[in-house]
Amino acid sequence: MSAGVIRMLPVIIFFVVLLGLGFYIQRTSADSKAENFSKEYYIGGRSLGGFVLAMTLVATYSSVSSFLSGPGVAWNVGYGWVYYASTQVVAAFIVLGILGKKMAVVGRKVDAVTVIDLIRARYDDKVATLLAIVIIVFFTTTMIGQFIGGAQIFSKAMGIGYVTALIVFAVVVILYTSVGGFNAVAITDTACAMVMLVGMFALGFSILKAGGGLHSVTTKINQIADDYVASGGTKGSNMTSPFGEIGNADGGTPYIPLPLYITQWMLCGICTMGLPQSTVRCLSYKNSHAVHRAMVYGTIVVGAMMVGMHMLGVWSRAVLPSIPEGATTDTVVPTLIANYMHPLVAGITIVGPLAATMSTISSLLIAGSSAIVKDLYLHHKEATNQEIDQKKVATLSISITFLMGIVAVVFSIKPPSIIVWINMFSFGGLQTSFFWVMLFGLFWKKANSTGAFLGSLGGLAAYCITMAAGIKISTFHNILIGIVVALILFIIGNNFGKPLDEEKAKIFFPEQEPAA
Amino acid sequence: MDKMSYRDKFIQMNKEAKATWIIAFIIIAYWFISGFGVYKMAPKAMILNMPAWFVLSCFGSWILSMVLVGIITKTVFKDFNLDDDDEEVTK
Repeated sequence: MSAGVIRMLPVIIFFVVLLGLGFYIQRTSADSKAENFSKEYYIGGRSLGGFVLAMTLVATYSSVSSFLSGPGVAWNVGYGWVYYASTQVVAAFIVLGILGKKMAVVGRKVDAVTVIDLIRARYDDKVATLLAIVIIVFFTTTMIGQFIGGAQIFSKAMGIGYVTALIVFAVVVILYTSVGGFNAVAITDTACAMVMLVGMFALGFSILKAGGGLHSVTTKINQIADDYVASGGTKGSNMTSPFGEIGNADGGTPYIPLPLYITQWMLCGICTMGLPQSTVRCLSYKNSHAVHRAMVYGTIVVGAMMVGMHMLGVWSRAVLPSIPEGATTDTVVPTLIANYMHPLVAGITIVGPLAATMSTISSLLIAGSSAIVKDLYLHHKEATNQEIDQKKVATLSISITFLMGIVAVVFSIKPPSIIVWINMFSFGGLQTSFFWVMLFGLFWKKANSTGAFLGSLGGLAAYCITMAAGIKISTFHNILIGIVVALILFIIGNNFGKPLDEEKAKIFFPEQEPAA
Repeated sequence: MDKMSYRDKFIQMNKEAKATWIIAFIIIAYWFISGFGVYKMAPKAMILNMPAWFVLSCFGSWILSMVLVGIITKTVFKDFNLDDDDEEVTK
């Protein structure tokens, strides 16, 4: 067998397994789907155990950037970038520990299938519709970004054309997601998380082997930093400094100044709690034991991946001292895989970043579809008292999921610059519009619909406008502006409009009601 | 599995959320001290031939997170029915 075929083998096996899981789950869940299709299809009938909950949360969260762009930057900047990425160790437990259980309890009480259902129950239709649209827009653009990233790695590693790579890999993820629904997404996410870990260890092993062992690798990194200092900050980069100074004529500029670290704790730490692709998982687990265990497992895995992958990026500098002129640091990991690995190991390793991409896309796809079908269409039917036929809902849900995927793929073939542009705001934009709505919705009785609407819309606008116009406060990331503006507008809005009515207060804040 | 009224569950969940906030802030504080703090005091110190500030902050924060999450899920967090089946039992 040629090296190309051997390299292809693990990827093909992986794709077949994912598809198999999707179709298998579709068959096993047929009975419960006949009863309540949306609940089964969009949150898997609230059946996730602790392990799968942790894995699907982490796999969704870790995307193509954690496996490609992040380690690439670490290759250039050094240990500082690992430090920067390590803020994400809180990402798994914080959403489950703070929002997780309340969402599960209230979600059961009001029979919420989506995050928007819960928001509708807490606030009003206006807030729910606004945020459903935010989800649809940002999820679609993020998916396109992930499709592009995934197809790039796939085509580079396999030596096939970009469009072919895109179509093969997109068909797999769209098929298993649309056919299998949320349970298929959760189970395949778990498989993806496992493969990501395996890929990471294979990559680490190859780097250490090619670099002549840990001591030799780290000595080379230290040497680069020493050379930087010896050159007076004009050459190379200070790889052992937390600020990751990059050499230039001015005597070096910190790549990661302190303010950026502070906002990183918001963007990739605390505020990840707002991300709807994470919070929807709080509606899907089966019992309190599951969520406790998921907090522990999730923290173990997210830390291993974030610290591990970025550290490998630093180490790879010892093996790959330079990249061709004009190439971006995104090419570092694919180059390593292509040049320093046995074809079979390369095939296994390349599945890692592909898995990271697929697990993110699948979750966005199923949640995006739920926003269209459940939050907009079915809600409209319920509101106008029309009858709901479960069979029709089934066909519609599967078709919308499928179509949404296809639309994203079509845009990925030749991405319009507007989409690439919107995608830049999507991660922070989702956080800005959802963070206070979720947190205040569950923990602050005074929070009302006017505040939520004003805060979300105003915060999002402030974030996007300042991002687009390049307005910055010092070197802080603009998430700071978005979150602060959202908070201020939320509080101002709360002084207008109606306070929470008694019916809702009994559901969301029973502890603040007089004891029965 | 503890039997709790709907109201008691919320009192419990507020405690759990508070504990999560507290450990998050402990981790952030540790992260700053072990990273920037150690770098400031001993920029040249090495562990396993890697900068000491890096090893202590990145691996340290990760290990600390696992330990603290382990502790709160064992002590503060309580198992209870997420549905309100046993509502009337406790009243």
